[in-house]
Amino acid sequence: MIPYILALILILLAVLGTPLFAVILAVSILGFHYLDVNLSVIAIEIYRIAETPILLALPLFTFAGYVLGESRTSYRLVRFTQAFLGWMPGGLAIVAFVACAFFTAFTGASGVTIVALGALLYPALTRAGYREKFSMGLVTSSGSLGLLLPPSLPLILYGIIAQQMSVGATVSINDLFLAGILPALLMILLLSFYSLWENRRNPIPYQSFSAREAVAALREIIWEIPLPFFVLGGIYGGFFAISEAAAATAMYVLVVEVFIYKEIKPSQLPAIMRESMVMVGGILLILGVALASTNFLIDAEVPMHLFNLIQAHVTSKYVFLIFLNLLLLILGAILDIFSALIIMIPIILPVAVNYGIDPVHLGIIFLANMQIGYFTPPVGMNLFIASYRFKKPVTELYMAAIPFMIVLFAAVLVITYWPALSLVFLQR
Amino acid sequence: MILQGVEDAVLVGLLLLMIGMAVTQIFLRNLFGAGIVWSDVMLRILVLWVGLVGAMVASRQDNHIAIDLLDRYLPERAKVYTGFVVRLFTALICMIVAYYSLLFVQMEFAYGDIAFARVPTWLCEAIIPFAFTVIALRYFLLSFVNLKKIVKFRS
Repeated sequence: MIPYILALILILLAVLGTPLFAVILAVSILGFHYLDVNLSVIAIEIYRIAETPILLALPLFTFAGYVLGESRTSYRLVRFTQAFLGWMPGGLAIVAFVACAFFTAFTGASGVTIVALGALLYPALTRAGYREKFSMGLVTSSGSLGLLLPPSLPLILYGIIAQQMSVGATVSINDLFLAGILPALLMILLLSFYSLWENRRNPIPYQSFSAREAVAALREIIWEIPLPFFVLGGIYGGFFAISEAAAATAMYVLVVEVFIYKEIKPSQLPAIMRESMVMVGGILLILGVALASTNFLIDAEVPMHLFNLIQAHVTSKYVFLIFLNLLLLILGAILDIFSALIIMIPIILPVAVNYGIDPVHLGIIFLANMQIGYFTPPVGMNLFIASYRFKKPVTELYMAAIPFMIVLFAAVLVITYWPALSLVFLQR
Repeated sequence: MILQGVEDAVLVGLLLLMIGMAVTQIFLRNLFGAGIVWSDVMLRILVLWVGLVGAMVASRQDNHIAIDLLDRYLPERAKVYTGFVVRLFTALICMIVAYYSLLFVQMEFAYGDIAFARVPTWLCEAIIPFAFTVIALRYFLLSFVNLKKIVKFRS
């Protein structure tokens, strides 16, 4: 009886806004106390942060993303994409999807995409003749597009957590980076088709391709073009480990934005560094304390019991996947992506592996669902940021985002039931 | 205020050190085929330090990740009460962790292991009790702010 009462109290405290790390710590303290383990073990588990080499990538990529978010990269990216893709039918909408995806991949889906790109894209879309509701929905839902593209932080974090679990199959971050590419393209493709279809009775004047504008836009962004190649080429060319790619990216972005574009004054740097490390601190603290509670979960064989329980009712892998999608959508609606990853992966991953789901594929399914969670009430971060930024009520944004949500959900279903889409580049 | 400045400076310094060391290591490894032996260990410990100092800074304004599912929809007045409970609870939990991690660091001090170069392991771990003590103090302060508001409502 008492454990249930304690659990209820903790859940109540959590939904009332207790920092998540404190809730997880409370669970571990109670758990270890119950098992008669000395509580100093919590410090040992937190110290494991310092024994996980790949974690170095987290602060470095986050810092690079914050620097990009503070400079005028968003402006250059929109101009560049527009110059090269704007001539296509549905051009500007496609420009918006592609630009958002790239920007989010580097800035880690922290909401900065809506602030930096939405502010440029929303007026441009309405000016070009797209309906207001459509433009609003597009901007709100695109703020998390690109979550599956390297080097997005949630992708890295999934890899880190999965590696801690040792579930049999290896989950390397290199594999995750490759696995996300086609699913992300599928999302962009489906969204582009949808916007063409949606605007079929609302002809948007075509913009002709201008070689001159293309050259000008290219010249402007020339220093940032190497970034994706840095990351992907560096890693898959075998020049860099992931954390080295992160270090190189951080250093490169710092030099380019401060000394070449001169858009960030050296005096602004300490504040940017502090802000980015506050975010890293928040994530690492939860990760550190979760390492302790995860151990407790595994000791108590919670995932195994859970698997047996589900197995008794659901034998088919495909039915399990449906339930998994539903669960993840709900989780995405009430948890932010980092908490969801850190809390749920240790429970879901072993169960999913028992159903024969590839851990890399599971990661892509997980994040694809979470991406939708970014703009579902009650706590979809994109809704609140867009509402704040564009001075529109959250409900209006939510309604505007529904069609995009349906399209993305279709993409999620394809991703879920077509594992090859994620795994085709992997040697397995 | 001065302490906050010091804290910020330490955080920024740690990050700069981390970027600098990581980049140096890449050059050394690719140009000379070998890096500084202890540099990788130090980088990993820097991650822990940056994370915990960042977490300390985040607690100044209660900027930690939370599931504020209910909290968002509560009336302003009720929030003051729940905020008091929630912050006091957080502070107490951090105190417990700070105490037990201090015991852990004492144990490590007795063993006297070396983490890298000549730096002892206990020193690298000392940030854990330190950070949790600071976070606990900050949450006690935050809960005190709420308590003052509650007293003001009452009178």
